[in-house]
Amino acid sequence: MKVLLLSLYHPELVRGGAQQICHDLFEGLQEIEGLNPTLLAAVDPSMTHLYKSGARITGFDGRADEFVFLSRGYDYFWNRLEGDDLAEAFENFLLQVQPDVVHFHHFLLFGLDLLTLTRRTLPDARIIFTFHEFLAVCMANGQMVRRTDGSICNRATPIRCHQCFPEISPEYFFMREMWVKRHLDSVDLFTMPSRFMIDLYAKWGVDPDRLAHVTNGQGDGALKPMPSRPRARRNRFGFFGQMVDNKGVWVILEAVSLLRAEGFTDFVVELNGDNLQYASESRRTEIEDFLKAERARPIEDQILFHNGAYEVSQLSTLMGRVDWCVVPSVWREAFGLVVSEAWMHGRPVICSDVGGMAERVIDGENGLHFAVGDPRSLAEVIRRASTEKDLWDRVAAGVRPHESRDVMVDRFLDLYRNGLPTPG
Amino acid sequence: MMESVDSETPSAPGEAGGETFWRSASPHAPDRVDDGFDEAEYMKANPDVAVAVLSGTVGSAREHFERWGRSEGRDLAFGANDPRGQLIPTQVPAHAPVSLSPIPHAADAVIVSRGGGVLILGWLDDSSHPVDCITVVAPGWRVVFDSAALARHARPDVSEALGKPIPYGYGYLGFVYGDGEIPTDGRCELQFRFKDGRGLAAVLELRTVSELELRVILLSHLTGAPHQAGAPNEAIARLDHGLGSQIIRFNQSLTNAITRTPYVRRFVGPPRKYRGSIVVCIYGRPEYHFIQNALFSTGEDIQDYEFIFISNSPELSDRLLENARKAQRIYGLDQTIILLPGNAGFGAANNIAVQSARSNRLLFINPDVFPKDPAWARKHGELLDTRPKSETQLFGAPLYYDDGSLMHGGMFFEMDSRVAFDGNRTSVSHLLRVEHYGKGAPANSPQFTRARPVPAVTGAFISVARPWFERLGGFTEDYVFGHYEDADLCLKSLQAGVPAWIQDLRLWHLEGKGSTRLPVHEGGSMVNRWLFSSQWGEAVNENLLGPRPTHPLLSDPQP
Repeated sequence: MKVLLLSLYHPELVRGGAQQICHDLFEGLQEIEGLNPTLLAAVDPSMTHLYKSGARITGFDGRADEFVFLSRGYDYFWNRLEGDDLAEAFENFLLQVQPDVVHFHHFLLFGLDLLTLTRRTLPDARIIFTFHEFLAVCMANGQMVRRTDGSICNRATPIRCHQCFPEISPEYFFMREMWVKRHLDSVDLFTMPSRFMIDLYAKWGVDPDRLAHVTNGQGDGALKPMPSRPRARRNRFGFFGQMVDNKGVWVILEAVSLLRAEGFTDFVVELNGDNLQYASESRRTEIEDFLKAERARPIEDQILFHNGAYEVSQLSTLMGRVDWCVVPSVWREAFGLVVSEAWMHGRPVICSDVGGMAERVIDGENGLHFAVGDPRSLAEVIRRASTEKDLWDRVAAGVRPHESRDVMVDRFLDLYRNGLPTPG
Repeated sequence: MMESVDSETPSAPGEAGGETFWRSASPHAPDRVDDGFDEAEYMKANPDVAVAVLSGTVGSAREHFERWGRSEGRDLAFGANDPRGQLIPTQVPAHAPVSLSPIPHAADAVIVSRGGGVLILGWLDDSSHPVDCITVVAPGWRVVFDSAALARHARPDVSEALGKPIPYGYGYLGFVYGDGEIPTDGRCELQFRFKDGRGLAAVLELRTVSELELRVILLSHLTGAPHQAGAPNEAIARLDHGLGSQIIRFNQSLTNAITRTPYVRRFVGPPRKYRGSIVVCIYGRPEYHFIQNALFSTGEDIQDYEFIFISNSPELSDRLLENARKAQRIYGLDQTIILLPGNAGFGAANNIAVQSARSNRLLFINPDVFPKDPAWARKHGELLDTRPKSETQLFGAPLYYDDGSLMHGGMFFEMDSRVAFDGNRTSVSHLLRVEHYGKGAPANSPQFTRARPVPAVTGAFISVARPWFERLGGFTEDYVFGHYEDADLCLKSLQAGVPAWIQDLRLWHLEGKGSTRLPVHEGGSMVNRWLFSSQWGEAVNENLLGPRPTHPLLSDPQP
């Protein structure tokens, strides 16, 4: 069986959950006897040096089965490539590789219409698509967060989408939906790492019989040894991730302010991450001002510290410094890789009560929930986590490492070979 | 009475014997003028005397009074004994000129094209002195614009500057098309002649533009500043007096030039026989090409149809060709791309596209029309196979908005009438209005969607037998850009004995989203409405008016 995996970016070029999972899967498949997976990772023209004159698809760093798709002229509204040359190159690539399974991990930089081209070029191939967010449904970066007030969006309709983008008429969103669905029709089955995504896509109109839950597996499933010793108070909290708006760093800052105003200061928050430059101007200013003011306090009064960017290799050390991992995302994370990373290090998670995080973190069993986007709710949870006797020990005892990469690979292999069982 | 002049010692103006002059002496011509005579007051009361004195014709006001004023019974002072609240006729002096009050005006531009188009734009306060005509005298040519043929419109900026809040059409637009090359360099003189015999002149530089630019400027201005009194009917009414026919002739010459050399390229698979040729006229929005390819390609029996996309947007040419190649690769629909070097309008472009059709059934579809029923193409074929020819020679289909409600279930005609008062004259103008059956009705409205003859169907979807279309002469190409050609075609068909039908094929129509709409198009629509009303007003009025017309060929099989 030949499997072709299509990834938005290569994780060695651009970090990101979707491409990491795709590449982990690729590596897992490589280890299976008789399977010769091929990876085609799309890149964008900002990576000038990867673009070779006249080339549309090239190899990657001397690796036999890894290729890059040199996307250009991508139309982010309609999610398609202008012109025919890349489509022709893609068609030729399919004919050369002759995969039995074509597994898309995104349509960005390829274009939705290449799904249909895949079906037309390889009528007998099994086409699988893994959703890592809601870009098919939601034009607001696929996050299903209302641009009007930042609230969680539960359904995309032409009128509601128009409210988020007043400059675009409802008819365009109507067409967008028809356009997207027309191409998704070429896919045999869809997978997604969280069950709530299945509900959302089914309600949006994707045939539920073609939807499957396949969790994102990582590592070997073993607990990492942690340099941690018993402490009387579990009052150290850590944030790990990008400091962009939807990750909700501001919720932590406001919770800290509320607790300080109440006179509760016996806790510490460490922020680990960067990309603050991609946050909105107002949020960036808010975070920068807060950090500046915090640094201006006497050291003994400081509660919140920013450690800056980190490498994966530093994760164990950084996790070891905190008791709890806080995930305050204000959108429904499709999965929440950081939850897996925390669990891998035996750290319980305090997270917003929505999306993939809330699905995986069971409130009171292996972590704690707070109301999404509500600093007061997070403040109450921080106070409780810092002060309630034995709480940390109880929920930390419920933490288990997440499923391994191999479990994920096996699940996908089953789908590659057998598809989904016939309904009924 | 020169003899009696006493030229001695006039008193200080306004005073005599310690009393004001007007109290002590009659202001009317006294038998003897004493010191009470006031030069200034006399000239104020008799402006012609003032002119005569200033010009030196008469030495002084007193001289005038003594020589003529006394015998003529001239007033010595201005208005003192005039009756109040009455109009007082006075003499128009013949012996001294009276200066004319100026007529505020500004000539904004004289825009010309080498092909013979002349457009004048400006404003004129002729509310008191109606203009009769405006003549443009340029090197090598001149043209006279009759006032009736000028489109007048409000100019709020002028009203404000003149301090005249009462609405008036100060702005003017005049256009003629000479249908022959004219010199376009240099200056010209605009000569205004007024109905009271006055005249004005202004000199300005000719502004030269291409024919296409001139069309944009002309049509944009036509609606850009609508007449204050009940636009757009008032503006449309102005087209009656020659302006409309000038615009149409001009547009026809452009259309002829644009359609002379179309570029045709086919993207097709193996040769096959087509059941129908789907013609789509693209304007301004290239995305509809690939969206239609994607959405139509999933339908049943769609492979029996070819697509012909004709572009009225030359700037999209490269993209359309590239996208057609890609679309053929991905969706497999046979298609022809026809590129025009300008906007030939809906009618002419579709007529050109028909020449490339390879079937005997033509389907004209707007770019923003998509299948609602995936089986529509199969059902279309079944209709042709099973229904009487009279019901399928020319038919439309129920079209739906994106919100699910009905957009179109056929079209009918209404008449808008406007009464205008101009002095003692009352005029009534009539304009046809096209309405859709069932617009906004619930999706399930069989009274609008069932098969039946209707006065007309929208050009968003028309299926017509090619021989019949050709016998009708295709779409009338007189219309500017688009609008009303569909109703015109249906009325031509009805006149020839075959009414349009609605057949129950269901499609989406995102009305008004399929092309870019600019002020220039509104101008075109205005001209088209006028033209359509001129052409068909009488026939419609006879037995085609309203949602239930009495035309014998439109009798409903299931009333």
